[in-house]
Amino acid sequence: MERKNFLKSLMIGAVSTSVLVDACKKDSTTTTTSSTSTTTSGSSSSSGTCSVIETETEGPFPTKAPASYVRSDITGDRTGYKLTVKITINNSNNSCNALSGALVDIWHCDSAGNYSEYGGSGMQATNYTTVHFLRGRQTTDSNGLVTFTSIFPGWYSGRATHIHVHVYNSSGTSLKVTQIAFPEGSGTALAAVAGYTKGMTGYTYNASDNVFSDGYTLELATVTGNTTDGFVLSISMSVPA
Amino acid sequence: MSTCIITLCYRKIIDANAAKQWDKLVFESSYLEFKMQAQNYSLGTSFTTYADLVKNVPNAHRLAGMITLSITGYVQQLAGIVPDMLNNVGKRFLKFNKFQLEVINSDINDKTKHQVAINFYTEQLIWHHTIENFLLLSNYNPAETENEEALTNLFQVQPYVNIYSLKKLQ
Repeated sequence: MERKNFLKSLMIGAVSTSVLVDACKKDSTTTTTSSTSTTTSGSSSSSGTCSVIETETEGPFPTKAPASYVRSDITGDRTGYKLTVKITINNSNNSCNALSGALVDIWHCDSAGNYSEYGGSGMQATNYTTVHFLRGRQTTDSNGLVTFTSIFPGWYSGRATHIHVHVYNSSGTSLKVTQIAFPEGSGTALAAVAGYTKGMTGYTYNASDNVFSDGYTLELATVTGNTTDGFVLSISMSVPA
Repeated sequence: MSTCIITLCYRKIIDANAAKQWDKLVFESSYLEFKMQAQNYSLGTSFTTYADLVKNVPNAHRLAGMITLSITGYVQQLAGIVPDMLNNVGKRFLKFNKFQLEVINSDINDKTKHQVAINFYTEQLIWHHTIENFLLLSNYNPAETENEEALTNLFQVQPYVNIYSLKKLQ
């Protein structure tokens, strides 16, 4: 086993480390222990190239790490009225029964109407936890439910308040891209939040929204609560899986 | 040659041939994320490859940034030490403080086409001398005085390693 690994490392080295040839030449103590036993021609391990193998204690052992999107609390460093988002997914191809194991991505803007940016350029190895505020991923449970903790979204010019949703099957194949609309009018959460500091002047209501204006009854969530205790958003959606 | 402060960049290529465990995990995680995020851009088009998406769909260039978040957990597991790059006694020693994920190729329908690179940018190093094929390097610490003893590493520049930046030490 050890020898097999060693040979494997040589083969990897042979592909990518041509400059190391000289290093081997000058260093007479570097020999391949296997060379005496593999005198047959054609072996890639006898090409004379080699690279220094790690001589450290094995580890740290890599462990499976979920994408940073996988989190229930997507608030990050944003502030606003607490919003619990409960999305239930059912399968329109299976008698509308609950769809478990589906991946659900959501993202929305902060109280000022801004989305988090994706780190396109070089990223600091420490300090990338805040760059994806208000974006998250959960997997539906046996009831088809995912729950996120977030803040009530703000709004930006041209759009009604909304939450983006992308539903995938467990292998990452897209099942549905949609948006959640909010109830409007007196007594609603939207009216209570009243656009945070921005107010509601210039707000685009659902009827005028270019996404929702063609009908949004299926996309309309139920939102309960108040600004003191926070709000709870619930919606059920059918996707073909 | 006068003494210089340099930073190195190691461009680690990861594709379907990945053999090491860490590389395999990064391959799997970055591919799943590519597949998921790319469908935000491929919707309503017939494009499935990264190259086609970037060429034809506005904002598809954001994919690399979106996929980065699928591997940050693995980058953290490296604890700030550049993988694969060894000094002449066979130890990893290069510290990095910045990295960048690059998507080279990929295809929503074909995992074997998936190929990414992680660029590791090292912290500042002092390049004292060049001995045969080796650079004699030490960590740059501006607070240290000239007369202090510095711990050094002999490092041979290897494929996919570039001297990324250079500044003469006064």
